[in-house]
Amino acid sequence: MGTINSAFSIISRALEADQAALSVVANNVANANTPGYTQEIANWEENQPLTVGGISYGQGVSETGAMSLRDSVLVARLDQQNQLASASGTRLTALNSLEALFPPDSGSSSATAGDIGNDLTTFFGSFASLEANPGNISLREEVLSSATTLAGDISNAAASMNAQSAGLGQEAAGVTSQVNSLSTAIAQLNHQIQTSSPAADAGTLEDQRNEDISQLSQLIGINQVKTENNGLSITTTSGQLLVAEGTSFQLSSGVVSGATHFFLGNSDVTAGLAAGGGQLGGYLTAATVDIPSAMAALDQLAYGVSTSVNALNNSGTDLNGVSGTAASPLNVFSEPTQVAGAAAQMSVVMTDPSQIAAAGAGQNAGDNSNAVAMANLANESLFQPVATTSFSLTQNLSSTTPVSGTVTGSALVYDSLGTSYNATVTYTNLGSNSWGYSISLPDALTADTGVAGQVSYNFGAGETVNPGTNLTISGATTGGTATIVAPTITPGEAVGSAGPPPTGYVASLDSALTAAGITGVTVSNTGGVLTIAGATATSGSVIADPVASAATTGTLTFNASGALVSPASDVSGIAFSGLGDGAASLNLTWNLIGSGGASSITQTAAASAQTAQSQNGSAGLSSGQTPTDFYSSFVSTLGATVAGVQAENTAENASVSQLQIQNNALSSVNLNDEASAMATLQTSYQAASQVFNMLNVIITSALNLGVQTAVS
Amino acid sequence: MRVDPTYISNLVNSLDQAQANEEQLTAELSSGVSIISIGQNPVAAGENVLLLNQIQQDDSFTQSSSLVTGQLQVADSTLGSVVSQLTQAISLATSANNGTMNASNVESVANQISGILDEVQSLANSSYQGQYIFGGAQTGTTPFSTSTNTSPSVTTYNGDQDVNYIHTPNGQKIQLNVPGSQIFLGAGPNSVFGALNALVADYSTGTVNTAQAVSDTQALGTALNFVSQQRVTIDNSITQLTAASNAVTSTQTQLTAAQSNLMQADVGQVSTQLSLAATQQTALEDVISQLDQSSNSLFSRMPA
Repeated sequence: MGTINSAFSIISRALEADQAALSVVANNVANANTPGYTQEIANWEENQPLTVGGISYGQGVSETGAMSLRDSVLVARLDQQNQLASASGTRLTALNSLEALFPPDSGSSSATAGDIGNDLTTFFGSFASLEANPGNISLREEVLSSATTLAGDISNAAASMNAQSAGLGQEAAGVTSQVNSLSTAIAQLNHQIQTSSPAADAGTLEDQRNEDISQLSQLIGINQVKTENNGLSITTTSGQLLVAEGTSFQLSSGVVSGATHFFLGNSDVTAGLAAGGGQLGGYLTAATVDIPSAMAALDQLAYGVSTSVNALNNSGTDLNGVSGTAASPLNVFSEPTQVAGAAAQMSVVMTDPSQIAAAGAGQNAGDNSNAVAMANLANESLFQPVATTSFSLTQNLSSTTPVSGTVTGSALVYDSLGTSYNATVTYTNLGSNSWGYSISLPDALTADTGVAGQVSYNFGAGETVNPGTNLTISGATTGGTATIVAPTITPGEAVGSAGPPPTGYVASLDSALTAAGITGVTVSNTGGVLTIAGATATSGSVIADPVASAATTGTLTFNASGALVSPASDVSGIAFSGLGDGAASLNLTWNLIGSGGASSITQTAAASAQTAQSQNGSAGLSSGQTPTDFYSSFVSTLGATVAGVQAENTAENASVSQLQIQNNALSSVNLNDEASAMATLQTSYQAASQVFNMLNVIITSALNLGVQTAVS
Repeated sequence: MRVDPTYISNLVNSLDQAQANEEQLTAELSSGVSIISIGQNPVAAGENVLLLNQIQQDDSFTQSSSLVTGQLQVADSTLGSVVSQLTQAISLATSANNGTMNASNVESVANQISGILDEVQSLANSSYQGQYIFGGAQTGTTPFSTSTNTSPSVTTYNGDQDVNYIHTPNGQKIQLNVPGSQIFLGAGPNSVFGALNALVADYSTGTVNTAQAVSDTQALGTALNFVSQQRVTIDNSITQLTAASNAVTSTQTQLTAAQSNLMQADVGQVSTQLSLAATQQTALEDVISQLDQSSNSLFSRMPA
């Protein structure tokens, strides 16, 4: 049977429980705006009932402590999404700075400063203007002025990109101290939580740890692993330990080859961090992927423009009648030695406008053919160097298995304007373990049909007609139309030197036309340009041989075992000049390294792939883009990257918002809820207090045995 | 499920977006350009580079065309004067050949034709903006000089055979000059200076070898026709240049329209969008204000 004392006990516990619950509410309200605070609710528990004589008597309820409303899975998911959003946000900021270097030109009368697209057009356009009056100094100064603007804008853009890259490296390095501070704090909290609350939610300690992990997620990509006793280990997304329960590992940074790298212990974790996410991932992606990619494109543009323009200017004749030579080049731009760094180093080295070679090779100063060629560069593909080219040969040249007669091998090589040639090596068996070799470079000249009714071929200086020519010409005869195959002539006859009256190859063509009864077709050779006018049709092409250096012929000697004995090293100094497209001399090194112990040159090709082989030629950029096409493509690609990252960031932020809403719905303090709970608890407390008063009256009455005044 | 109690922060995010949208639209309005950064529309930004390149190439050609047209017109005008001079010389020679003139008059004709020869040589040595126009690529050297050491005198060409072309944006080549030797020192009877020098020699003694003089006069007539033929080349170039320049200007107009359409902001559209964004911002601010007041409602309504 219950007593008044037990009733007192129940009601006083109710008062204590209400008081404790009110304290939980007060704590929630006080921390409503505390970052990372998780809403707590009072935990009610029924007291153990008292059983007397087989009858149970309730003992009321107690408040056993506050419980945080937390969803660990949701919190971890939010952290992961924060890593992605933070990475893309940081990368987007960097990309916005990068794209600001290449603003779209509105097309208004005043071009946007630093507009490389406009600079390119103006520069090549200045050569087009020079076509009209090649001797005009003011037009020549315009060429140098526009070249200076172009070089300045490209090198400034490159310098800005380098500065941005360095700035990103410094900002990334600055993140490490925050990461270390947070990982240390998390390790300490791990220790406290494992000590104080190994089996249950640690409340505010847990809140602090989650808040630190959330901040860490903004900085770098991490994975969390729960350990025993409510502990936690944290690794980078690539698996390196940052926190192992109560121990933290410090991230450090240092400069390696000019770039900021990150280390955990002795391990370089830069690549993993770049791919991992967080601010650091964003910084590193921008610094190691986005900016280098843009810089590589700008380098290609600068290299292509500089080398192409220099090569053409050196191949022509300037206003003083001078042509560039290796010793005294007539370079407009500083000649880059490699693609990397070409943009940053781009500058105009020519100061005298009269050195612009508007005239073609061997022409007088009033000629404009080279200015035309340089203006046409605007519509031709840009170039980049080719590192290696291998001659291939399938026949076995060893002395042990000699073949008779001649065999040939070939390789595709490129000149400085990107024209390809099938360089051919012809081997002749000389007996006695020896083979003679001869390297040739047939130059298939492209017909110029720009003027209606005539076809012309521009022979390079000193180029000779190759007997293999297969040009056919059709023209009117008195009886209809006839076609001739252009005659072959003795190799070595120069085409580029003679003028009227017709001599040499021109005379041979004239004779052939006359013999065929073709009238009205005139063949002329002016300044190395073979012109066939009045023909009703031409087909085929003219093949010519550029001037070759002495190094194009020699002997290969094998020993009795079939191994190459001589030459003992690479054949260098092979050069071809006077190319029909006006390109600079093509220099080759024929790599024989690796053939010493081999039985045939076939194996040399394989060795070449592993050994640097020099060639000053070049190949067209992908898809043969013109400078403007290339820049347009560059702008579109960079813009698409920015737009892509922008879209990615927007989506990730939306996802973060959704997850945050879900988490807030569960864990944030709602003041209305708290006000309601407080009102309820206050009412409960008041009710308990009333009961307590009533019990007090009852027990007083009992003690006084009904006398009202004895004890009050 | 509970509602997120921090809904105001979400609304503030929306307010930030509305604000950013307004800034973007305001920038478009103030600059008149719809694409402020290349990331905004990468394809259009790339296309813009190509269009501007083509427009500027066309513009450059138009300017060059104007310059060379001037030079060609000077050349044409000069050859017109040459034709007049040669016509006059033929007239003089014809009168001298009819056998009615005395020696003095014949010598006078010789002097007049010699004067015409000097004038034609002067015309053949014409320059434009400091560059000789009939010297081929030898634009800095006087193209023609006459030696009187022999009889007849010999006029020598000091230029070369170089022919320059200007290239139109669509790849057409237009001839810019005719080498002076081709005009004035053609082969055989086509040589202007050969015929003039011969006539001067024919009449300079006062005694006329009629057969020779008639032959030389006919040669001068042939040379005159040859000059006219060469002049046609220059006239053709002027015509081609004018046509090409007109075509390029027309293309340029179309390209400029396309470029403007691509890049320029539609003021009406952007203004409407800006107005909507401003309305959205005001609405969001009102909502935030209302919610902020109501968020304290339960506590504020509790008795003190």
